[in-house]
Amino acid sequence: MRLHVQLVVSGLLQGGVYAVIALGLTLVFGVMRVINVAHGELVMLGAYTTFWVFALWQVNPLLTLLVSIPLLFFLGMVIERLLIARVVDQPEVTALLLTFGLSIFLVGTALNLWSADFRSVESPMLAGSVMPWLWLPGLGWLQVFIPKPRLISFLLSLLITGTVFAFLKYTRTGKAIRATAQSREVAMACGINVRRIYTLTFGLGAALAAAGGSLISLMLAIFPEMGAVLTLKSFCIIVLGGMGNYAGAFFGGLVLGLAETYGAFYTTPQLQEAFAYLLLILILLLKPSGLLGVVRQ
Amino acid sequence: MKTRHVLWVLVLLVAVALSGPTQAAEPIKIGAAISLTGKYGRTGEYQLEGYQLWVKQVNERGGLLGRPVELIVLDDKSDPATSVKLYEKLITVDQVDLVLAPYSSAVTYAVAPVTEKYGYPMLAAGASSTKIWEQGYRYIFMMVSPAEVYLEGAVDIAARNGLKTVAMLAENSLFPKASAAGTKKLLQARGMELVFYEEYPKTVTDFSAVMLKLQQLRPEVVLANTYFPDAVIITRQMKEYNVSPKLYAATVGPALPDFYESLGKTAEYVYGPSQWDIKLKTPGNAEFVKAYTELHGRPPDYHSASGYASCVMLEMAVKQVGSLDRDKIRDALARLDTTTVFGDYAVDEQGKQLKHKMVLLQWQDGQLEIVWPDELATAPPRFPTPPWEQRG
Repeated sequence: MRLHVQLVVSGLLQGGVYAVIALGLTLVFGVMRVINVAHGELVMLGAYTTFWVFALWQVNPLLTLLVSIPLLFFLGMVIERLLIARVVDQPEVTALLLTFGLSIFLVGTALNLWSADFRSVESPMLAGSVMPWLWLPGLGWLQVFIPKPRLISFLLSLLITGTVFAFLKYTRTGKAIRATAQSREVAMACGINVRRIYTLTFGLGAALAAAGGSLISLMLAIFPEMGAVLTLKSFCIIVLGGMGNYAGAFFGGLVLGLAETYGAFYTTPQLQEAFAYLLLILILLLKPSGLLGVVRQ
Repeated sequence: MKTRHVLWVLVLLVAVALSGPTQAAEPIKIGAAISLTGKYGRTGEYQLEGYQLWVKQVNERGGLLGRPVELIVLDDKSDPATSVKLYEKLITVDQVDLVLAPYSSAVTYAVAPVTEKYGYPMLAAGASSTKIWEQGYRYIFMMVSPAEVYLEGAVDIAARNGLKTVAMLAENSLFPKASAAGTKKLLQARGMELVFYEEYPKTVTDFSAVMLKLQQLRPEVVLANTYFPDAVIITRQMKEYNVSPKLYAATVGPALPDFYESLGKTAEYVYGPSQWDIKLKTPGNAEFVKAYTELHGRPPDYHSASGYASCVMLEMAVKQVGSLDRDKIRDALARLDTTTVFGDYAVDEQGKQLKHKMVLLQWQDGQLEIVWPDELATAPPRFPTPPWEQRG
């Protein structure tokens, strides 16, 4: 039993970061109806921001989030103004092609600037692990094992996700974003500047990707081609949770984390990457609208 | 008038003919594509630095066959398919006279058919998978001990100390799989039990699922068939997940100075095999280490030594032949029986290495010590490895 508690904890920790990344993707899709294939590359840029700020100035890696998030937020807005804005109301394939090109461009740039080397943030404060005792009904006290970098990443993921939810729910701008997602025309009729909302949303999506990237770099090695797998996993997560559904993205992330941890434990790490797609197939067969999705008429 | 013209032309011709040999001779072009970035970048760079030291020294000695040597280096980005293209380019476009080997078994395995096709002899400085020499190639020669015996020292120390249960990991590419297969046989021969064996793809950067399994199994020995980046991640995650075997060795990684730089004290007690060591008493080794450190600003690792030795032996073969006739150089390399800084060299008719010997190193107080075999040891092994919670 201790094993399962440990697996669940590990899976949730893994899923937290996925959730942050997928949230950015689903936000952009929900509001702009643009599938951003370059999302994983924005994650990669966030990860490298953390790596470089840490490697060059020995800044506490957690504080690098304060650099990567605003930096990518700004970059996201620039990308939206220069590129995405031109394809927002075009057929979806146009946006796909554009962001696919953007993805190739970003990977190539990263390869040339920073080489294909694997890099990792080796900070003493991230070494080791904590071993808290958990009390569970029916099981009593159990000791679980949590690597420090994962715990920190997970807690920050929760904080970031929570902040974004609160922003969307309670602030005027957040409400405007949700209104635009529900109906662009009505939002315009209510006097919402939809152009501005688009730019802001894409910036926010990029900022969430950056946060995810920074958090990943605390746990794992990073390299310029790391993004593609994350883009695909994020797609699986948002389909799993329901396209454009924010809470769905969060739960989808956790479900994927659990599935991967259990899957890799009971089969082999060779198959770990396959579980996202397995989940995708299952959800499309059983509940095509996603876990929290609603069927659109 | 006409005769005068002819005379002038003759004079010019004679002048050209006379001045020819006195001008600087056309350089001998030697080409190599090697991993400078990507997964094999760290190790590939050491191998290249070995090549560069030889090029510098040979040019200071007056060149090869009286001609200066020019090294053309390309980066294969750790990708076998890229390397194949680059060797095709080196041979057909750059028209190099000789080639030096790439790094890693996987890349060498991909390149071997190309160098074979064009008849370019190659001393495989960075490949240890015997599979390469089971394809019937005639132009490629093995320098290092085969992958199958990399973990022989670690298995020996574990067996001598009565350890029984072993967990093993392997990247699913050519070299790690070969070393895992060889290690399995060694374990069987010593009556040890393999309680866990798993392969992982080249791109995996997270071993948490494996670590959770190891937490459950509590093996006495962990053997990892790795390259540098995965060896670093596995070691770090073993600490994070409190996996504490009594002996932990990884094939490639621990023997590199960068291993300690990346991991600090977490690297203590880790064992890693090496094809060569700074402290070995091979002929000219001390001079090699000194010259290398002066040129590159850091001490060599075994990839540097094999890279350097491959050039030295190529030079021996070329001098024996007295020309750049690649078929004759090939025959000379097949017959060669010598000792370089890297150790002994002689190959069988398939081109497989017969004489070279490995050592096992361990990190002790930030230093790599030879702990196996006993006759070459610079320090006794620190055994067993204490559990993480008892380490500072």
